[in-house]
Amino acid sequence: MTALLDVRDLSVRFAMPRPSLFAPRPHLEAVRQVSFTLERGEALGIVGESGSGKTTTAMAAIRLVNAAGGQVLFDGEDLLGLDEKAMRARRRDIQLIFQDPYSSLDPRARVADIVREPMDLMQIGTPAERRRRVGELFELVGLRPDQMNLFPHQFSGGQRQRISIARALATHPRLVVCDEPVSALDVAIQAQILNLLARLKAELGLSYLFISHDLGVVWHVCDHVAVMYLGQIVESGPRDALFETPQHPYTQALLAAAPSLARRKSRGYVRPVKVSGDPAGPIGQRTGCPFAGRCPRVRDLCRDTAPALTRQGPTDVACHFPGPPD
Amino acid sequence: MKQPTAETAPAAAGDPATAQRVESPAREAWRMFSRNVPALLGVFLLALVLLATLYGKLFYGGDPFEIVWAPYEPPLTTPSVPLGTDYLGRDIVAGLLTGGAPTLTVGASAALITMVIGISLGSLAGYYGGWVDNLLMRITEFFQVLPALLFAMVLVTLFSPSLWTIAIAIGVVSWPQTARLTRAEFLRIKELEYVTAARAIGARNRRIIWKVILPNAAPPLIVSATLTIGVAVLFEAGLSFLGLGDPNVMSWGLMIGANRDYMLDAWWPVTFPGLAIFVTVFAVSLIGDGLNDALNPKLRGR
Amino acid sequence: MTPLLEIDNLRVTFDTRHGMVTALDSVSLHLNAGETLGVVGESGCGKSITALSVMGLIPQPPGRIAGGSIRLNGEDLVGAEPARLRSLRGSDVAMIFQEPMTSLNPVLRCGDQIAEAVMLHQNVDSARASRLAVELLDRVGIPAPAQRARDYPHQLSGGMRQRVMIAMAVSCRPKVLVADEPTTALDVTVQAQIFDLLNEIQRDVGAAILLITHDMGAISEMADRVAVMYAGRVVEQGKADDVLDHAEHPYTRGLIDCIPALGRRDDTLREIPGVVPPLHLLGDGCAFASRCAHADRRCLAQKPVLTKWRHHPVACHAVEEGRI
Ligand SMILES: Nc1ncnc2c1ncn2[C@@H]1O[C@H](COP(=O)(O)OP(=O)(O)OP(=O)(O)O)[C@@H](O)[C@H]1O
Ligand SMILES: Nc1ncnc2c1ncn2[C@@H]1O[C@H](COP(=O)(O)OP(=O)(O)OP(=O)(O)O)[C@@H](O)[C@H]1O
Ligand SMILES: [Mg+2]
Ligand SMILES: [Mg+2]
Repeated sequence: MTALLDVRDLSVRFAMPRPSLFAPRPHLEAVRQVSFTLERGEALGIVGESGSGKTTTAMAAIRLVNAAGGQVLFDGEDLLGLDEKAMRARRRDIQLIFQDPYSSLDPRARVADIVREPMDLMQIGTPAERRRRVGELFELVGLRPDQMNLFPHQFSGGQRQRISIARALATHPRLVVCDEPVSALDVAIQAQILNLLARLKAELGLSYLFISHDLGVVWHVCDHVAVMYLGQIVESGPRDALFETPQHPYTQALLAAAPSLARRKSRGYVRPVKVSGDPAGPIGQRTGCPFAGRCPRVRDLCRDTAPALTRQGPTDVACHFPGPPD
Repeated sequence: MKQPTAETAPAAAGDPATAQRVESPAREAWRMFSRNVPALLGVFLLALVLLATLYGKLFYGGDPFEIVWAPYEPPLTTPSVPLGTDYLGRDIVAGLLTGGAPTLTVGASAALITMVIGISLGSLAGYYGGWVDNLLMRITEFFQVLPALLFAMVLVTLFSPSLWTIAIAIGVVSWPQTARLTRAEFLRIKELEYVTAARAIGARNRRIIWKVILPNAAPPLIVSATLTIGVAVLFEAGLSFLGLGDPNVMSWGLMIGANRDYMLDAWWPVTFPGLAIFVTVFAVSLIGDGLNDALNPKLRGR
Repeated sequence: MTPLLEIDNLRVTFDTRHGMVTALDSVSLHLNAGETLGVVGESGCGKSITALSVMGLIPQPPGRIAGGSIRLNGEDLVGAEPARLRSLRGSDVAMIFQEPMTSLNPVLRCGDQIAEAVMLHQNVDSARASRLAVELLDRVGIPAPAQRARDYPHQLSGGMRQRVMIAMAVSCRPKVLVADEPTTALDVTVQAQIFDLLNEIQRDVGAAILLITHDMGAISEMADRVAVMYAGRVVEQGKADDVLDHAEHPYTRGLIDCIPALGRRDDTLREIPGVVPPLHLLGDGCAFASRCAHADRRCLAQKPVLTKWRHHPVACHAVEEGRI
């Protein structure tokens, strides 16, 4: 059986303004030859820092951003090759949940209309059936039916995120892309939404492409994890292996940086793996490993040749010198 | 199957959705507006002006072009011409009551033309970006650098002065501002996630422009429309003042234009229509300001 | 030993369109020299208002300090003259804000901004202040500090900007450093660098840090003591280890249990149901009662006060009565 989503060598470039009138137009290589697969009923997490290309990868995979190259096989069919009409029809299988619960809902529409809109657009069922389905969706995501005629600004952040989820589920999608669905929420509310997403995944057999910069959240939700750095996947693998025996120094640095209750100031905790500096911008051509500028293990080879993603034990790693931290 | 999730629990104290009444954004804006005293004053003044120009003739007959008394009769001296007469001896009250309709019609139609051209071009440029944007913005800039009054004068002299040519001339010279405003709003709103969300459920461009972005861009556009009405009224007056109005239709601008040469001999024939224009523009801009406050979510109390 | 900073029974109110609301109520905190006090709680619980009170920066109106005292080295800041507060700000107490993007002046070079802060409180000429600025940039780990000093804020990354903020804040060796969610806008690896830097600076300069955060993990790594705030009150307070290992208040427990921690294997997270109630809807009872599994009649009727319990002070009827 083919995987639900099989992304191969996906690349995205954005044209930048010319530095001067006759200079060639520079391009920002936001996503470079990214490949991953997502099986049915599973959740694939994409983690990485701001600007690493997580959102762009996901948006290109579902054709909301134009890809510069690559293939996106959804159920074996290349989405990038579909014409507009066929793609619009495909959209019922693929839905989206955003990070910002304040800007992802049209402030001028009643929430029942927001949740019903996908069904209206795709002409699913009769108007009466659609209204009934809105009621079901409200119950499914834990909202009260008497809230259906309110406007988005009358809800809290967590409730708005529930509305977004209801809208995403309206067309019975098979793939839901979640772009940082809980990063804008308070921890307590975050737990409510994470539990809801986990329950929906189990009950409805959904597959998630789950983007987050929070390793704890990804650990909780995902079965497989891919770590992105400056537009490339530097390590990917099953959740436990990736978190327990990370091979890439960047993955190790991320894990060391994530705050944890187990590390106590009182017990003299000092961070073991340190990376210095900030990620460089993803603009232009580069030779060598994207992480070379900040890597504690960097050698000359890393600056000259880019490592390819290859299987190292349980995970795929793009590093010339993989292995546990020194 | 359902776990008791948090917010299904009976309305907790902190549940914002029950803490507030069901109120649409438009309703809430109306509530803000109806508490704004200057804006209500504007509505009152404008209503007064509209009633007078629409129904005034029923109570105060008389042809504004007819010579009914001696010229230069000062106001408040003769009961049959309460506000006096102009240089030909025409009744000023009759002129005011009749001349309002054309002035306001020209103002409103010019504003409508401005909005239609400005919003269409601005939204196309903002939404599609790229070469569409470049082309439309160059055209906009071309119209923006034209000296508006001169250009309108040329248009009016080319196509004999009638209310329509005047309205069209005003519309043609004032749309660039609206286009720029619309474009800026579109550029901002199209990046918001609910627009991406609409694309993700397969909405077409037309629907996104009309149903999603435009309603959300409406507040500043409505405000700018009201202000455009004021500007257009002034513009009409200016053209008439320069002798480019339609000489067969009595308007406030025409009254001022016709009497301007004798301004030093008699102040009232120009002052009263001037006051009428002032009150109208003032009322419209009070309303515009009120709408601006009411439609601006940042000013709404949280 | 008297604490360096002592907040006693602080009450802050705001005039809003819902009438007067109490944003801080009976808040008592203390900070000893050289230690880090973490203040944790959900959004809207009054963490920033606490920080701003210490800085004397509550917007007045609509805000008002309606009672209590804030003593720095024994000197009460609540009734202090504005001029006195100004001279203390920057020299004795300094603040690092959440958003380094908007808290630096975009039209001034970074070095000049630091130099200006230095000259405001120290009697040095501008050449010396500029040299000090470069030294400070070096101190906070900015590479090529002399060049960076000539950059404008928008030319720096978020992490760099936050370092500039820190350099500015520590320029006069403040005794108290207030850090209001200093890393929320930053990536984890950069957050780790900033935390490490704050710890280093604390060791060097001996500053006491009031660290505001909503992240229990950050508390665990950074704080010596913790105060947990809910709806404008401190509900639990104590040594970081005590509070993290023996959390008593149901809210504190909720905050710890709802974190999706790495390596944790349970399928569902413990949720805290509902949301923080808006201030104007707070009644007579415990503000947490509507979200609390242990709430009973007394909790709805009477506000619990912070009293020393087994390990540390807690404000909860259920804990007091031994129901949990
Ligand atoms: N429309 C665009 N035009 C130009 N550059 C873009 C555009 N969208 C994204 N980028 C750039 O592409 C890179 C990747 O951005 P992306 O939004 O995918 O990152 P991300 O990993 O999702 O980050 P974050 O965690 O901040 O959401 C960034 O450098 C960003 O500036
Ligand atoms: N200017 C103001 N006018 C009215 N109320 C205010 C004002 N500033 C703050 N408040 C209220 O004071 C309460 C505490 O706000 P504060 O900013 O301290 O929260 P916080 O704990 O810092 O939250 P966050 O984590 O979101 O920064 C909030 O409920 C807020 O509504
Ligand atoms: Mg993103
Ligand atoms: Mg705050």
